[in-house]
Amino acid sequence: MPATLDQLSARQIAAGVASGAFSAVEVAQAALDAIAERDADTQAFLQVSEDLALAAAARVDALRAAGRALPPLAGVPVAFKDNMNLLGTRTTCASHMLERYESPFTATCVQRLLDAGATPLGKLNMDEFAFGSTTDSSAFHPTNNPWGLALVPGGSSGGSAAAVAAGEVTLALGSDTGGSIRQPASLCGVVGMKPTYGVVSRYGVVAFGSSLDQVGPLGRRVEDVALALNALVAGGRDPRDSTSQACEQDFIAHLDDPIEGRHVGIIPSLLEAPGLSAEVRVAMRLAAERLEAQGAHIVEVSLPNMASAIAAYYVIAPCEAFSNLARFDGVRYGYQEPGCATLAKQTSLSRARGFDQEAKRRQMLGAYLLSSGVYEQYYLPAQKVRTLITADYQRAFERVDAILMPTSPTVAWEHGAISDPAALYLADVFTISSNIAGNCAISVPVCLGSESGLPIGAQLQGPSFADARLLTFARALERSCSMEGLVAPGFAGRGGELA
Amino acid sequence: MASGQQLTRDDVAGIAAYARIALDDAELVEMTAYLNDAIALLQPILEYDLEDIEPTFHPIGDMANVMREDVPVPGLSLEEALANAGSREGRAFRVPAILDDGGGA
Repeated sequence: MPATLDQLSARQIAAGVASGAFSAVEVAQAALDAIAERDADTQAFLQVSEDLALAAAARVDALRAAGRALPPLAGVPVAFKDNMNLLGTRTTCASHMLERYESPFTATCVQRLLDAGATPLGKLNMDEFAFGSTTDSSAFHPTNNPWGLALVPGGSSGGSAAAVAAGEVTLALGSDTGGSIRQPASLCGVVGMKPTYGVVSRYGVVAFGSSLDQVGPLGRRVEDVALALNALVAGGRDPRDSTSQACEQDFIAHLDDPIEGRHVGIIPSLLEAPGLSAEVRVAMRLAAERLEAQGAHIVEVSLPNMASAIAAYYVIAPCEAFSNLARFDGVRYGYQEPGCATLAKQTSLSRARGFDQEAKRRQMLGAYLLSSGVYEQYYLPAQKVRTLITADYQRAFERVDAILMPTSPTVAWEHGAISDPAALYLADVFTISSNIAGNCAISVPVCLGSESGLPIGAQLQGPSFADARLLTFARALERSCSMEGLVAPGFAGRGGELA
Repeated sequence: MASGQQLTRDDVAGIAAYARIALDDAELVEMTAYLNDAIALLQPILEYDLEDIEPTFHPIGDMANVMREDVPVPGLSLEEALANAGSREGRAFRVPAILDDGGGA
């Protein structure tokens, strides 16, 4: 039997619980031990929900004792980005605005993992309200990359990626508005998927950009991510999210299908993009070779309007964020400035002191872009450019089943090394276009950088609602890259022993 | 505030008032620089001829209003709804005066 929990896949944990090799409570205790041992270094968690974890695990053990069939994620340790409501925890969005906000209900995505038998270990750090790509803008504390504690884990789902990479949990949920699942997955050496817009319900997830946000899983194996996605869509369309779509895909059944004869697109000009590091370029060539070695045809495609995706995104996303965050008025929930004589003063001071710098910036940009006279100039044209970007994808996906590209232009960098917001925005260049068009995308660890020794992820993008097929390509890449199940060095085996 | 024109500190103070975010003088200076940098990043949008292009407001293009049957379903209780409020009074959220002078209208 393996010595520590971090060596096991989700499937192995659920099978071990079902067979009685160990109990769900023993697994929960091992995960709590691993967190106690490792989280002081990563600072991935904002809250550890020990009572909820042990109670959920005990319910799984009671099912087994009663001779009942166990659900597919029985006993599997999971944790959630802190913009997802879970009854019995606070949902802070890593913001002083929501520092004391008690979840009034449980988000559908969270509930579906619980229904699948998973054990909830707590809530994970993030950039404040998901505005960022470093997790440094958390109002509480930064999170450290398990591959180097001086490095950022990426963001905004940096806590999710770090907790998985350090082996504190088996699976985590993140949210992705412009790359916020995939980029931290790449920087931390784990798998992270943004499903097609509409596949996963957003009910109970604090909104950032409503036409862009999508919830998805992070794990150390493609199979773990696929199992999580199965659980997220089980039960079908969520009537409480009007954008939720019926989705009856089985994401496991075709994971190991051969990719022989399939077509994978590459965009040569992307590899010449300024700011793309040499080792990321090498990793992309390696990824293409590995897919080709399995019989895939590598085909050149183009997304001619992709270069404008950043501009379109930084119109659409701030406008939607300004609209969504207008609800934080300090009255019904959130920070309330005391002693104000008028409501107007209370609102503007509560928002000034509740929000940190980047949240103010994004809302100010959105407020400007939606103002009279400016709206016609930027917002409407950005939505038309979105039409062009979507059409680019449709043309490309007539020729290929998936497109291979970098996730992040570089490996992880040091905390504070990039302070200019505009420079950080440009680093989203590879991830943003699939949020604009809504199609599915995944980051899979390919190798360690030849110079940095840090993990590099390759991104695969697929057509909308072809998520299962995208996972087949992701699995093919994983199979040939020997990064499967990897726990960051220095963390593997620290705490979390299973009896 | 046409394109190519830089936002001034006064412009930004106006946006902050509209956004209901109180900014002090130092923040206004920083925010003015940020907004001008960010707007410069958006310029590729202005270079397109988009006359015959329809906008896409949403990735699920053909989605119309999503309605459900008009039947009551359980929601938050009064206590649950008020639990996160900064100030409450009895069964209500408590707010300061709505009018600027605080006078009794």
